[in-house]
Amino acid sequence: MRNFLAFFRRFRVFLFFAFLQIFALSLYVRYLSFPKNQYLTTASIVTGKLLEVENDVTKHFNLSKNNSALQFENIKLRTKIPQSLYQVGRNTYKIEDTVYEQQYEYMPATVINSSVTRRNNYFTINVGSKQGIKREMGVFSDKGVVGVIHNVSKHFAVVKTVLTKDINIDVTIEPIGLFGFLKWNGHDPQKGSITGISNDLKIKRWSRVVTKGGSGIFPKGMPVGKVYETLPVEGEPLWDVVVKFSENFRTLQRVYIIKNLLLDEQKALERQIPPDEEEEDL
Amino acid sequence: MNVVVKNSIRFFLIVLLQAFVFNQIEIGFGIHLMVQPLFIMLLPFETGVFTLMILGFTLGLILDIFSNTYGLQASSLLIMAYMRPIVFKFYGPREGYDPLKEPSVFDMGSRWFLFVFGYLILIHHFWYFLVEIFRFDEFLLILQKTIFSVIISYLLCIVLQTFLIKKSKAK
Repeated sequence: MRNFLAFFRRFRVFLFFAFLQIFALSLYVRYLSFPKNQYLTTASIVTGKLLEVENDVTKHFNLSKNNSALQFENIKLRTKIPQSLYQVGRNTYKIEDTVYEQQYEYMPATVINSSVTRRNNYFTINVGSKQGIKREMGVFSDKGVVGVIHNVSKHFAVVKTVLTKDINIDVTIEPIGLFGFLKWNGHDPQKGSITGISNDLKIKRWSRVVTKGGSGIFPKGMPVGKVYETLPVEGEPLWDVVVKFSENFRTLQRVYIIKNLLLDEQKALERQIPPDEEEEDL
Repeated sequence: MNVVVKNSIRFFLIVLLQAFVFNQIEIGFGIHLMVQPLFIMLLPFETGVFTLMILGFTLGLILDIFSNTYGLQASSLLIMAYMRPIVFKFYGPREGYDPLKEPSVFDMGSRWFLFVFGYLILIHHFWYFLVEIFRFDEFLLILQKTIFSVIISYLLCIVLQTFLIKKSKAK
């Protein structure tokens, strides 16, 4: 017993250090995979409010650029409204549409805190569960996919962007229809990569990369970026396809959140598939 | 000024600067500016290792909340606080440190500060990027990020000291 106490006294500094270190690291690992609460993130009410105040100041730095981007998007949308189109077949508009049912709903939000230089980059946005935001909803901007909601509090939400280690959005390379998973290697915030593309097909440079829409988070055909180059993977018949993102995440401020109205139906149906070993889930 | 008051003000300033200014600056090349090691460095010589570790852990946790890193900053500041007495002892004068002085570049001279703070900030940044990336096939990326960030953060810390400390009356 005396020896034990002596041991404890001798190494008390190191033991205290090890205890705190294990605590911090376990916190880090646990939050990274599945956050149980939002007290230690920017989604908490105090830090959220503070960062909002900070953003009120800094958002003006990119104001003119953002305004022109929004204007450009407005023009694009304006060309699609009925007033600016010539109606070819008359009397086909119905109020109760039975051919098309609304599947996706969109909600605007502002990015109030962001980073692009870390290994895993998260954005904080100014909408939360009060607006009906839930985990695993898609987030995109006018140029392309941004990420997936990771954690939600009452007024704020944290977005896991495509600039994270295991984002795994299912994407398609457009004219050929090959599909794979989007990854990010942590080097360049403008370029990601697609895994799981077999190398027996030629892929043209600058072919469009869009979402596949299989997991129901993003609608089909939402732009992600363009193919920048294809690199061979050593020892495997696969391409490592490098994608140049169409969105510049450094200056991103305005985003939209996608609510899939039919997601529960899709999930309920897919739950009836018998489980399989080695199933990749998003 | 009282030591506790002085260091509380520093604590507050470092949190504000790091959370609202340096966290938002993104230079590229994997550079990530971190000035919080300066707070641990500037605590008085006679501070015990337990106090150092508790302060480092608390500061790290607060910064974690502001930067979505969930305990990573706390972990790296903790290892720096743990190493501080060891590095200080190694570079200390034979008769021990003068308790009236502060471990700053003005009181202790640039040569002493260069080595001691250099080692400590290197430990801090290396641990930070090691845990953040945590893949040995990306070891070169860890090294690149560490070296670039250390150089910039170090220069920044030296500049910051001129604002945080009044030049000492001694000498």
